Amino acid sequence: MTHIGGILVLLLGLPVAARDEPQPAEQYKTLVKEFGVAAQGLWNATTDDERMKAAERVAKSTPQLLELAEKNPNEPFAFDALVQVITQELWLENNTLHPGFGKDSPSVRALAILTRDHIKSDKLSDATRRVQYGFRKECETFLRTVMEKSPHKEVQALACLRLAQFLSARLQRLDILKDKPELAKRYEGIFGKDYLEALQRQDRDKAIEEVEGLFEQAAEKYADVKQPFGGTVGERAKSELYEIRNLSVGKVAPDIDGEDQDGKRFKLSDYRGKVVLLYFWSEF
Amino acid sequence: MKKLEEKPFAMIGVNCNNFDAKKLKAAVEKHNLNWRSFADQGAINEKWNSPPTPTYYVLDHKGVIRFKWVGAPGEKALDSALDKLIQEAEKDTKKPK
Repeated sequence: MTHIGGILVLLLGLPVAARDEPQPAEQYKTLVKEFGVAAQGLWNATTDDERMKAAERVAKSTPQLLELAEKNPNEPFAFDALVQVITQELWLENNTLHPGFGKDSPSVRALAILTRDHIKSDKLSDATRRVQYGFRKECETFLRTVMEKSPHKEVQALACLRLAQFLSARLQRLDILKDKPELAKRYEGIFGKDYLEALQRQDRDKAIEEVEGLFEQAAEKYADVKQPFGGTVGERAKSELYEIRNLSVGKVAPDIDGEDQDGKRFKLSDYRGKVVLLYFWSEF
Repeated sequence: MKKLEEKPFAMIGVNCNNFDAKKLKAAVEKHNLNWRSFADQGAINEKWNSPPTPTYYVLDHKGVIRFKWVGAPGEKALDSALDKLIQEAEKDTKKPK
């Protein structure tokens, strides 16, 4: 009896052991799902403790994703896993109080691998779409490299548009940091004091000039390239240029001439001499 | 916002539901809104790049955009912005001519 039992265990043992370690593609799927659950957790969280827990789950799974992508570079999921690493780290940066990964930033590594192994990929716009919402130098470098080296016009076009949007958003964030010392401290921790100080020293007018130049380039060179969520790169770039030139801090507000709720005509400029809170609202 | 009644300040809405004045009036009454709003059938939104709602601009007394928030900025940020600009406006009008 014991003998037969031993054979049975031996026979059953092998497949059981193999099942213990899921296939890499399965592990990838599980980790992506894990992110979905954690993101939902943050959304539903009502206390800081719950928020921190959601952040910690993602902080743990992000390096695991990177490791999986690095160990399986030829698997079809490897590219998506690298993009997912970027998505998750930016989610941590932009939605939680996670202090960052210090020198071991998984997204920096993921960007380096994408640049090294996938620069010719026609799927690279999946990455630039995420990177656009980043802040660090490596994001900027990545967008510049894709714009320059991708052989696909669509990928170049979106990289150009997104580089302009990245640079513009970074300037706006720097402005916000001036009034928020606590946030500035967090940024120092994640992105490094030297980098932050170098950004603050840059010539703001020159930086805006570059943003405008990139939007102009997108509007001219890539006018008809379609954006993934509707409209063309050209239309988007033109609207961004209009925003910078007419609707940004420091510009005289475009006048408004219209009717109020009583059907009375009036103008925004009727209120010169007063401070005006102009509130765009809608009823849901 | 009550405390600003005596100050050189106005809050002006731009409704973004494509309402005409009559429909806007009904919405204003329904929600008890105490500020004047433009009824917009698209022209204003086009000129202002169709901001998502809510979007807030704060203009100084010269009509220059000084602050802009997409989404609610929070009471503290809004109050300090308005205080700063109202002080500027009052200082400017007190200047001898």
